[in-house]
Amino acid sequence: MKILTYKALARSVVLESIRRKDLWVVAILGFLIILASSALGFFGFDGLQVFAKDLAVTVLGLFSTIIAILTSCRLIPDEIKNRTLYPLLARPITRLDLLVGKLIGAVVVTWISFLVLSALTAVALMVFQVKFETIMLQYMILKMIGLVLVCSVSLALSTYLTPSAGATMSFIFAFGCPMFVRALTMGYESAGPISKPIFPVINALLPQFSLFDMGARAVYPNWSPIPVWIIGFMLGYAVLYSSAMVGLGWLKFRKQAV
Amino acid sequence: MTMKPWFLGVSALGAMSMGFFTKDIRPVVNPAIKQVGLHAHDTHAATSLLGQFRTSLSASLFLRADLYLHNGVEMRPLSDAEVKAGKQGVGGSSAEKIKLHDDSKIITVIPPSSHDFRGLLGNVERSITTYKNMTGHTHQTPTQTLPLFRLMTILDPQFVQGWTTGGFILLWDQKPGCLEKSIAFLQEGLRNNPKSIDILTQIAYCHLKVLPKANKLTRDYRAALTYIVAAREIGKDNFDILTEQELDALKQNYWRMVICFREINDYKQMLRAAREGAAMYPDDAVLARHVVEAERLCAGKFTEVTPVIISEPTDSDL
Repeated sequence: MKILTYKALARSVVLESIRRKDLWVVAILGFLIILASSALGFFGFDGLQVFAKDLAVTVLGLFSTIIAILTSCRLIPDEIKNRTLYPLLARPITRLDLLVGKLIGAVVVTWISFLVLSALTAVALMVFQVKFETIMLQYMILKMIGLVLVCSVSLALSTYLTPSAGATMSFIFAFGCPMFVRALTMGYESAGPISKPIFPVINALLPQFSLFDMGARAVYPNWSPIPVWIIGFMLGYAVLYSSAMVGLGWLKFRKQAV
Repeated sequence: MTMKPWFLGVSALGAMSMGFFTKDIRPVVNPAIKQVGLHAHDTHAATSLLGQFRTSLSASLFLRADLYLHNGVEMRPLSDAEVKAGKQGVGGSSAEKIKLHDDSKIITVIPPSSHDFRGLLGNVERSITTYKNMTGHTHQTPTQTLPLFRLMTILDPQFVQGWTTGGFILLWDQKPGCLEKSIAFLQEGLRNNPKSIDILTQIAYCHLKVLPKANKLTRDYRAALTYIVAAREIGKDNFDILTEQELDALKQNYWRMVICFREINDYKQMLRAAREGAAMYPDDAVLARHVVEAERLCAGKFTEVTPVIISEPTDSDL
């Protein structure tokens, strides 16, 4: 039963994360959010709701991405370094199963962290009398799907690079890709006829992290929730892209001497 | 030799008592003046990094204010290539009396579907983010950007544009007490930037602006002159090292100074100010016209005086 295998692998990742006190970092970050929000009270609460929401989604997006990358990047290299990979591979599981199980574990840890941070942020926002709206729920769902993508890209990179190099590259991808895609859309019209066909290819290859962030829509007033089919489409995109990333990681990991 | 406990106590008390006087010592050892030559952040790496961080953060907050005005829709200026290619900006609504910035040369960062090669992914982005057709758009009230201005001036007290624009926006809704708040905010900016022509000019603007909703129905020329004259002195002393923005502010300052002296019937000072300004800005038609007007008034000849128009600050562009 693959599901039981994945469950056991994911559980080990969560337990390891608790043992390493990663969630304490989340708690400290959350405490900082509360502290920052109370400091903002200096300005008075009137008219500060947009600013508070803006800050909240920025902080949530930033911290959850950092946690996702740092959690995913060290999973495989740590198993190799600590020689705990031997007993794992001695069991009746394939290396692909191991990667999938680790990815699920990383996603679970990231989601737990994200939900803890979200809860603390919600408390901070309540101070500013910001009501919880449907669009905030959509933001959270889409963000959680997007974090799967971040984890899969980081995991794939960690099989090719050292943990620190993998983390660095993941950060570059996570924060650089949205900017690069924007530059592509801006530069397309002024590009020459020969280079124009390259733009869609590059765009298709890059992970579209920005499409999972509807923070701006949740922050600014009078924007309606998005149609449900878009969330479904993005879920499909995340599953496909993550599968490709796991496959890419597996190509390297399957022949890796441990 | 062991340290006596009383010595430790006395030392701690001494250090604490010294701490009470730091407020008085600071202006002496670290006066808030515009330095000529290299600043600390030009010579010390760590200071430079911190300074750059603060400056970048306050600048990014300033840009964020633009997002607030457009209700989250990201805009960007047209590139030179786009302008040359004849591309038009989205333009602003003609219903808005005060123009916050030049809308004729800005477009949305996310292109419309007709100009987007990404197909379905582009459509998804337009649905997910704050995108809409901004042709002839209106703006949100800028008052909701005030926390940003407070934050950016705390982060970087030398960010003059943050002080002046914040001071300008505080007057926007003309709520009771807005004038006092704006002047207090700008005075704080002036304490941090005592040689800033822009801030002095903005304080003068506050005194000259008529705010009917805030029950300020007259222009206080004498109060404004205090700041206008101070700005002139700084401008004269530092004319060669003024930035383009400061030069603009100084020119505006001369326009207002001429009008203020005229309105308090001090025609000699008016003529002096107009000539001085015209000498500094020989291409400026307004000052040239004021010179003629002042000469006629000094000679006792009746002249048709130019109307009092207090132009909006040039640096309020968000």
